[in-house]
Amino acid sequence: MNRLKELKGKWELSLVLFLIIEVLIFGMINPRFFKINVLMNSANDFVTVAIIALFMSLVIIVGGIDISMGSVVGLTSVVMGLLWQELGLNIWIALSIAIAVGALCGAFNGYLVAYIGVQAMVATLGTSFLYAGMSLVIIGFSGISAAEGITGFPDSFRALGHGKPFGIPSSLIIFSTLILIAYIILHKTTYGRRIFLTGINREAAEFSGIKTKLVILSTHVLVGVAAAISGMYITSYLSSSRADHGATLTLSVITAVVLGGTAITGGQGSIIGTALASVIIGLMTLGLQMSGLSTRYVGIGIGILLVVSVAIKSSLGEGNLFSNIKRKLQLGNG
Amino acid sequence: MTIIKKLFEKREITALMFLIFLFLGVSLRNPDFINAQSISTVLKGSVLYIFLAVGMTFVLLTGGIDVSVGAILGISAAISATMIRDGSSVILSVALAITIGLIIGLINGIGVAVVKVPPIIMTLGTLGIIRGIMIIYTNGRWVENLPDSFKMASQASFGPLNVYFLLAVITVILVQLYFSKTKKGKYFAAIGDNIEGSVLVGIPVNKMIIIAYAISGLCASIAGVIFTSQVGFVTSNTGLDIEMVAIAACVLGGVSLSGGIGSVVGASIGAIIMTAINSALIFLKVPSFWNKFIQGLLLIIIVVSDVMIHKCFQEKARKQRLSARSESTKDTVIENDLPEESIFLGGNEQ
Amino acid sequence: MSEKKSLIKLKEIYKSFDDNEVLKGVSLELSEGEIVAIIGGNGAGKSTLMKIIMGIYPLDRGEIYIGNENVRMNSTSIALEKGIYLVPQEPLLFPNMTVEENVLIGFSQNKTLLREKLRKLIDHLGWDICLTRKAATLSIAEQQLVEILRGLLREAKILILDEPTSTLTFNEIESFFNLMKDLQTKGIGMLYITHRLTEVFEIATDVVILRDGGITVNGPVANFTKKMLIKGLMPDNVEHEETKFDSEKTDYHKDPVLKLESLSGYGFNNVSFSVYAGEILGLAGVVGSGRTELAEAIFGIGEITGGDVLLKGSSIKNYNTKEIVNMGLNYVPEDRHLNGIFDIADVKLNTTSSILSQISKFFLNRKKEQKITQKYIDDFRIKVTGQDQLLKSLSGGNQQKVVIGRTLSSNPQVIILDEPTRGIDAGARGDVYKIIQELKKLGLAILLISSDFEEIHELADRAQVMYHGTNRIELSKEEISMDTLTQAAFGVQ
Repeated sequence: MNRLKELKGKWELSLVLFLIIEVLIFGMINPRFFKINVLMNSANDFVTVAIIALFMSLVIIVGGIDISMGSVVGLTSVVMGLLWQELGLNIWIALSIAIAVGALCGAFNGYLVAYIGVQAMVATLGTSFLYAGMSLVIIGFSGISAAEGITGFPDSFRALGHGKPFGIPSSLIIFSTLILIAYIILHKTTYGRRIFLTGINREAAEFSGIKTKLVILSTHVLVGVAAAISGMYITSYLSSSRADHGATLTLSVITAVVLGGTAITGGQGSIIGTALASVIIGLMTLGLQMSGLSTRYVGIGIGILLVVSVAIKSSLGEGNLFSNIKRKLQLGNG
Repeated sequence: MTIIKKLFEKREITALMFLIFLFLGVSLRNPDFINAQSISTVLKGSVLYIFLAVGMTFVLLTGGIDVSVGAILGISAAISATMIRDGSSVILSVALAITIGLIIGLINGIGVAVVKVPPIIMTLGTLGIIRGIMIIYTNGRWVENLPDSFKMASQASFGPLNVYFLLAVITVILVQLYFSKTKKGKYFAAIGDNIEGSVLVGIPVNKMIIIAYAISGLCASIAGVIFTSQVGFVTSNTGLDIEMVAIAACVLGGVSLSGGIGSVVGASIGAIIMTAINSALIFLKVPSFWNKFIQGLLLIIIVVSDVMIHKCFQEKARKQRLSARSESTKDTVIENDLPEESIFLGGNEQ
Repeated sequence: MSEKKSLIKLKEIYKSFDDNEVLKGVSLELSEGEIVAIIGGNGAGKSTLMKIIMGIYPLDRGEIYIGNENVRMNSTSIALEKGIYLVPQEPLLFPNMTVEENVLIGFSQNKTLLREKLRKLIDHLGWDICLTRKAATLSIAEQQLVEILRGLLREAKILILDEPTSTLTFNEIESFFNLMKDLQTKGIGMLYITHRLTEVFEIATDVVILRDGGITVNGPVANFTKKMLIKGLMPDNVEHEETKFDSEKTDYHKDPVLKLESLSGYGFNNVSFSVYAGEILGLAGVVGSGRTELAEAIFGIGEITGGDVLLKGSSIKNYNTKEIVNMGLNYVPEDRHLNGIFDIADVKLNTTSSILSQISKFFLNRKKEQKITQKYIDDFRIKVTGQDQLLKSLSGGNQQKVVIGRTLSSNPQVIILDEPTRGIDAGARGDVYKIIQELKKLGLAILLISSDFEEIHELADRAQVMYHGTNRIELSKEEISMDTLTQAAFGVQ
């Protein structure tokens, strides 16, 4: 019996159930919650987290973690703003360069992790300081007020965050497109298969002729690009480019990935799960607001969700430390 | 080569040397940096981080991580500040704040050891929960107008040394003695070093892991109280991201994030370095916006060189061992054997 | 036996993991000064039994008496308290601690007294061991000594030694046996797990054979001959006959498919031999003789420092693993769990892991994957509930078949099998042997690396013997025998 697959299937199903219950409860508290427009617009707020979470899933599945993405969001936002304002570049060229910067940041993380062999947690801890520091340095040199940031972007750029083609908020379009891309990459391509295999057993992947270093590096590049896209979105949505845009994203991003069913130890996970979890977290924020409660409760909710979901999964016996040790001890018995 | 190897095995010494060079180097540009007052400012400022790093060391030694210390610091600062402002006795307020830190730490420990939630997830979860509770508790407002007597306590000094710094030094010495001299003190590093081996020699692994997180919570709440006394007000952002500085301090001081290696002395030196960099930049008239960048750069340089040096030695040892096997037909050659597993490597990709 | 004081008595021990019953009612007794050898094939349940005695695994049913007291072993600290100490097969030391710290950890007595005691103990044993060295710098043999020191300092009455000699050299084994005899005179009882029959007669007082979770032989060593023990190890229904496969003649006039020319690297030196199409070349050698390092270097994973490897006449020494696989060479690694299987992935993912880019360029082609996977499931008679069964829920033998299937899926002309039957049961072993024979018939060149000399004897058309990193000797089919192989592999002139 394929217990793991069953569990995974059940997990996604339970996320859907949870989502329905969540909508029902908030809807009962405030019927406005049921309006399709309101629900669709909620994407505006959670999409910044979701974009990163989708690709963070790849990094965590491959067996790593990246806690520097909040800093990359801020850095790319600042880079784009400055290129546009100070150097007078076309906004879309500035945006493309900013995304390239995001990719570079990810590549540097990936290089440290895969080629130098620094633990992912340590490497990205260092670069999270580094990238956040870079944006502060850039702002410091340009003499812009850090509190206000750069504002006054052209309408064409603001449409990125505020546009509603065919009545659908652009955030939702971005979200859906990226879900599709991430889903295809992870679940439909040989590259995605290599990500899973590397995450399950890097040594065995090497013996299967998979270039694991390259696979690890590339996942970091992808999440770097995602963070940059997220940075562009939030810059457009809030119409200001600031260094601290991504400051508090890390908790939400990792929660979305783990709640979505991805094992923090690597080797298993799904994009649909991450996407569902992102929506759950996003709607919780919206729901609390609309119920008249403060968004301050969101952190509590997310924290409880994170711990409880992982506790449930670990008590189901998949991949926790002690069962791993037991398995190791059992190896002697063939 | 062996000297370099020896030096790098004692990371406390390299960290200390770095700290001394930092002071000397900066004082070349600005001699004011090395006078008593600026040094004491650095030491005073580092007290907070020293306490966090001491607690974090317990957790890191067991192979775990605690990212909730910033939140614990925040909430215990908020609790103690609110109570003292509202006229409760200082001792009672401090005791309550510290107890709460201890309890949160216990919860983390039980989650990790008993429920088997991975450490990063468990403490990330409590981080979110506690931050939320803290904002509700303070209603998002600043806690200020604390009695001067409480604030002045942070300025008190014993001889040339600030009282809080003295307290930190005593704590570090006691903990270091506990680690090196007592039976149980060695258990923490043992668990991170080889958890299966720990089970085999009868170490109560779960209990020790719970204790480690409880101590981390305790230390974080002490840091919170010290923060209140030193700064004199608490905002809803108090302690935000400070866990990253604490972890960075530990790594700088040679505590391995894979567990098993490190000392509180090293971690404390790391904490002083993190503070000293900020002061040094001021004395060098470098704009303060460079702080974070330089801290990050330093962290990466140290970690990368650490990994590369150990990798190099390990690789060399492996090659020597393998060559020794194939070189001659003497039976004795196997005696220069090294085990297969990476021991020094700070970065194994788990 | 009854005059001696009984140290530990096991009564009807049962233990299962998931649905797999590992121990089916095992009873045995150890008294003072006895060395009970426990032998049995891989998967017979030896290690599980020892871990139950140590309190690492709880038992399902059965009783354990220590002295005359019925003890519930539910944690290692109880076992340690009762004077039981396990020296594991792979030492579980703390690599970042010194030897002294490693030995003294967990003691509550006064440190100076303990140190004195330890020093005396070492003096008494006459060992030369530096207490301030880090455990990471010790050889495996030295690590084992440290483990034993630990046990002795704890005044263990019962020592469990799990295949302690498997990593030792001849000289080391000799001094190790002297130590055991010394301990024996002091009344310490030892459970000695081994798979070397000669050692049983050399050191043990009693012998127990475990097979498929049950005891088939139990009694004083003097009552048995080697032949009787071998019979006890064999499954009941199978007569111990040398399964002679009719060896088809290999055409040695053609060019060899794989040719090593004075290949050197770390762990092996100046190795030359050729493998021809349709032949099985056995590469015999003990653990640590450089066989695996050699194989990994050929496969593009280890480093090559000199010489050359030719695959179908062209050098492959500067190619990476992926390219080498595509050029027609594949490798079944020695350590299945570490390097072979993806445990939480299913059979299909495992089978196709090395041919992803051959099946399709960019997008996965599930149909093709299923077809290939089904082929190997059918051909090798892999027992699975479906292609989506997870590897970790398969038996060792079926896991190994999947790994071999994966290796073959790349259509290699040369296949290197490194200890292909390690850790799998007798039935699966037979299946693997048949597969190897089939491959030979299909005209593959097979390099069979093994420390199980019977395996080489049974399968190989020719054999090379590795000793200290060099292939010392080539044996023809007629020359291959247990004696010649053993002598060459242990460097006996």
